[in-house]
Amino acid sequence: MTAREQEYRELFMAEALEYYESMSRHLSELERTPDDVPALNELFRLMHNLKSNARAMGHTAIGEVAHSLETVFGLIRDRERAFAGPLVAVVFTGLDELGAMIRAVGADQPLPDAAALLDNLARVARGDEPVLPAPAPADAEAPAEEDARKLELSDLVYIQVRKLDKLLNLVGELVIDRDRILTLAEEIGHPALQATARHLFRISDDLQYSVMDVRLVGVGVLLNKFPRVVRDVATAEGKEVELSLGGQDVQIDRNVLQIMTDALLHLVRNGVSHGLEAPAEREAAGKPRVGQLRLLALTERDDVLIEVADDGPGIDTEAVRRKAVERGLATAELAATLDEQAVWAFLFEPGFSTAAQVTDISGRGVGLDVVKRALDSLGGQLRIASVLGQGTSFTLVLPTSIAVKGALLVELDGRPYAVPLLHTDTVLALRPDEFSVVGGLLLAHVQGQAVPVVPLRELLHAEGTEALPAADKTLLQGPQQVLVVNYNHRRLGLLVDQFLRQQNIVVKALSKPLDAIDLFGGVTLLGSGQVCLVLDVPALTRLFVARRA
Amino acid sequence: MNKRILIVDDSFYMRTMLKNMLTDAGYEVVGEAANGQQALEMAASTAPDLITLDVILPDNTGLDVLRGLRQQSPNAKVVMCSAVGQEVIVNEAIENGALAYIVKPFSEERVLEIVGSALRGDAA
Repeated sequence: MTAREQEYRELFMAEALEYYESMSRHLSELERTPDDVPALNELFRLMHNLKSNARAMGHTAIGEVAHSLETVFGLIRDRERAFAGPLVAVVFTGLDELGAMIRAVGADQPLPDAAALLDNLARVARGDEPVLPAPAPADAEAPAEEDARKLELSDLVYIQVRKLDKLLNLVGELVIDRDRILTLAEEIGHPALQATARHLFRISDDLQYSVMDVRLVGVGVLLNKFPRVVRDVATAEGKEVELSLGGQDVQIDRNVLQIMTDALLHLVRNGVSHGLEAPAEREAAGKPRVGQLRLLALTERDDVLIEVADDGPGIDTEAVRRKAVERGLATAELAATLDEQAVWAFLFEPGFSTAAQVTDISGRGVGLDVVKRALDSLGGQLRIASVLGQGTSFTLVLPTSIAVKGALLVELDGRPYAVPLLHTDTVLALRPDEFSVVGGLLLAHVQGQAVPVVPLRELLHAEGTEALPAADKTLLQGPQQVLVVNYNHRRLGLLVDQFLRQQNIVVKALSKPLDAIDLFGGVTLLGSGQVCLVLDVPALTRLFVARRA
Repeated sequence: MNKRILIVDDSFYMRTMLKNMLTDAGYEVVGEAANGQQALEMAASTAPDLITLDVILPDNTGLDVLRGLRQQSPNAKVVMCSAVGQEVIVNEAIENGALAYIVKPFSEERVLEIVGSALRGDAA
């Protein structure tokens, strides 16, 4: 069953049970006041809906009974039949049987046979006498009566996200204690304790994924809001735009989607106002008048990608490069050495562009730093692809869930640190002679690219606004462990003492006064009970850029 | 430009199914109304190109809503939705300016065919 079929089935069941309950109530009202017109109208309407929905779901037997009951209600409403005599008994039996049929659908059981009921409903519709069963002895009838009058509650519950957040936090705590118990059990070496700890591990793992699963929503809940946005911006700007959506069924944590809402709104608006040319301009360039904008969600390993792509003019890399220098985001010398990707990344820097340049192609950066901030808060990444004259695509790489993060554990000065995998590029062991020093910067050559390298210790101990000490190759003794991290297309090598392992971590917010230090994204507890700080790669990169010698 | 559609139906299940069909086909569903009053308010605020209108709404207002919509939003095309057995109301609806009707339970092809031709202005 597809996700959509499952959704239809759940909606059908929830609504059918709701209709059944309302109809039972209205039928009792009708019994007290046989000419209660509003009650009759409601009975007719609800039965009509149940009929339509049952037929759409392929439950023809329910549809048939509902249709016959609807006909009888119609006749009563039109005063061709009275709600009196044997008709009342047939209608009540009919509604009870309908309830049993709905319950059978919900329980995946065969539906009870309704031939006798349909025959009686046809009889009362024609005005004939129904065939009613002879009254059974009172004691024999009781259990059947009880069974038919069960109270039904809907199978769906609505939950506030706040409650799910609390549940997720509790699971996070549980997972940390579980790892601790597992480690202790191994240390103590008691077989029964070890077995129990392993069982606890499996159960809490299952619990964690179940809680994460409950929080997932289809990306469509957000994407489906964009046709309106695109239409409004296009109308205001005199653009002709065709929007295509894809991947609405891709599942993502509700809060991740919530955090990205504004960012996506900016990207889409930007795509229409700056990513697509005016119709006349497009025709002059030999393109169709109507610009194409695509919003596509897909999954890649554990991540969810949301792509915003246009078939507009593409990014004018040289214009962005010039502007980055004008805005003081890079020196002319540095800007000249940057590749396309690194230049494009300037679009998402705060202060790259101002409203005065909105009409300029290179002015696409208006407000795009919002995108970067939202991505940073989730540990997400941005991919940019652009071909001059053909179009641009921005891809948001998002974690499916915020609960657990993959991380690489490294050691420095006897302490463990966790680095989120989303930001780690590669790990290297290099000899001192494999480094070079240029302008006070230590450089390593990674896949043909010169990557600046800095001892992690120097970044963590940087004080005030002092520049980092100039690199000195002679201080490097023996093989060096380099962790290459990646942020906003900028790579940076961090020297650490050793690599420990890769593992999933549950990140907790820092308590005071550590939260004043913005180099850490949070803290996690390792199975050994050791506290491990989680490095904030964007903050480290910014610190390095600001303080390099 | 994507055509904009308002769905009026008192069943959430039915609205969801219609919305999925129309959205998948590239239409923009600008609103979903569950009763007559909501339908008139949403039609006024969203100015849809087309409205799918269930004939049987709470308070028995399907036809009243149709007449209200024709007055209030004369440019919006209206397609009636109805299950079999409501031919009398459907005929009255057509006399009151509805362009076409879709019979429930509907197939995706049929919905798109009727909505498409109503928007183009052909007879369905």
